[in-house]
Amino acid sequence: MDLPVESAAAIDAAAAAWAAKADRGGMTVEETARLEAWAAADPRRAGAYARALAANHYLDRAVALGPGFVAQPLAVSNGMGRRRFLTGFGLVGAAAGLAGLGFWLRWSQQLIVTGKGDMRRVALPEGSSITLNTDTRVLPQLDENLRHVALLDGEALFEVARDKGRSFVVEAGGVRIEVVGTSFVVRRHADGVVSVVVREGIVETSWNGEVGHQRLTAGDALRVQPDGSATATPLAADAIERSTAWREGLIDLNGLTLADAAEEFARYSRRRIQIDDAAIGDMKISGIYSTSDPEGFAKAAALSLGLSATVSGNSVRIHRP
Amino acid sequence: MNAFSTQRALGQGTRQNPARLRRLRHGRCILLPVALPSTQRAIWLAQSVLPHEPELRAWLSRRDMPGLDVDDIVQESYAILVRLESVEHIRDPRTYLFEVAKSVALQGLRRRRVVSFETLAEADGLQIPSDDPDPETIVAGRQELGRLARMISELPPKCAQAFVLRKIRGLSQREVAAAMGVSENTVEKHIGKALAFLTERIGRGGNNRSASSSRRDSTEGTRSGPASRKRRGD
Repeated sequence: MDLPVESAAAIDAAAAAWAAKADRGGMTVEETARLEAWAAADPRRAGAYARALAANHYLDRAVALGPGFVAQPLAVSNGMGRRRFLTGFGLVGAAAGLAGLGFWLRWSQQLIVTGKGDMRRVALPEGSSITLNTDTRVLPQLDENLRHVALLDGEALFEVARDKGRSFVVEAGGVRIEVVGTSFVVRRHADGVVSVVVREGIVETSWNGEVGHQRLTAGDALRVQPDGSATATPLAADAIERSTAWREGLIDLNGLTLADAAEEFARYSRRRIQIDDAAIGDMKISGIYSTSDPEGFAKAAALSLGLSATVSGNSVRIHRP
Repeated sequence: MNAFSTQRALGQGTRQNPARLRRLRHGRCILLPVALPSTQRAIWLAQSVLPHEPELRAWLSRRDMPGLDVDDIVQESYAILVRLESVEHIRDPRTYLFEVAKSVALQGLRRRRVVSFETLAEADGLQIPSDDPDPETIVAGRQELGRLARMISELPPKCAQAFVLRKIRGLSQREVAAAMGVSENTVEKHIGKALAFLTERIGRGGNNRSASSSRRDSTEGTRSGPASRKRRGD
């Protein structure tokens, strides 16, 4: 008598789920061991998993569809999980849902990116605007209930059009900033710190799964560390102004050390400022410089601190004379 | 030792004593005791094997192989291609895939209690079809992209969003979660669903499961096949 065995379809479904977990990355040792045990129990499972992984690699070529690609929801599912094309009546029935969805899709898929040294202002259809600083990626998604923007990398200024019915949410590395209408800057630092500076209005912030939360008013600055600890401090008026100096192509160095400044310039330019001597790196500087001129800054800083700046290749080294 | 005894050994899966030096039809091949493919092997499968799968399925389903299931044969064939120590010697992956599938099928037939001599003889004498319309050429370029775009558009909307963000925008699953305002686990589920659907569409050349292997899925909960690990006592 034959014993019941797992169907090929069930194996394929499980294999795809494992391939998706692998695609997510960062599988734990336990998960990998579970996957290995699962696959080793039946060659059909091992084969189905290899096939799903192969398909995932095969699908990498979808990138050639280009950033303008929008998945057109041509079809709807019926109860059987099969798809059929929308017919006239179906279209009417689904129209309301799809109209909102289409709008969502268009915006959700518009990743906005700036390269090193670039800056870009984009207007959102509902009247708000986002100004992206260097090396930044944001992903807005708008629907009738919510305006949501993910700051994936870098720094951006949000000027939010007032809309009482729809709050505007920025999500940056686990920090959530919710507003109705205001203007604020969010930055994801290289070390995992997320900072928020509010220029106008009031924002509600939360982080660490809402364990931490803070209401910020105009002039407040918040820094959230990767471990979830946070500090909120009021800024002086000129400091708030300087927080968006980058919009004029300027970099604000007040209160920074030379090493911090070198890192700041590295955000904007491939030309690196090198400081080998830690004592030099700790020297404080001040001033506002053009983001595009690390060499000029290095020479000016060296001059004012009694040091030398030597240009070689793509770097400027600041050192003792 | 011939290809059939090789397959018999494989068919017994992990319980088999791992004497790993086996001979497939194409010269000496070492089969490793691994179940998971390396990234390199998965890429090779994507480029050299997956595009031929629809043709293989069509070829297999034209044969009269009582009790054998095309889906099982395909899965087992992939498993063997994962376990090959090296694929560098394979000049013609398409023919190799067909040979592997044929030996899996033959092994399945031989394992059955009752199988007519004619069936066996026919299966043994199967000619691998010549490489007429090269699927890789057919699906190359724009046509293939158009096909991909259509397949993606057939996904359920949330699935399609997650897939497009992940594959076309190049976001990580974590970033997709942030962008969609859902949990990472939800994104993983969307991607898994998308992969299941798209793997089927690519592997079956646009035919759905019921079209190419109707024999078992809807009718039986039990079966015996080449892949049945729970074998009757031999």
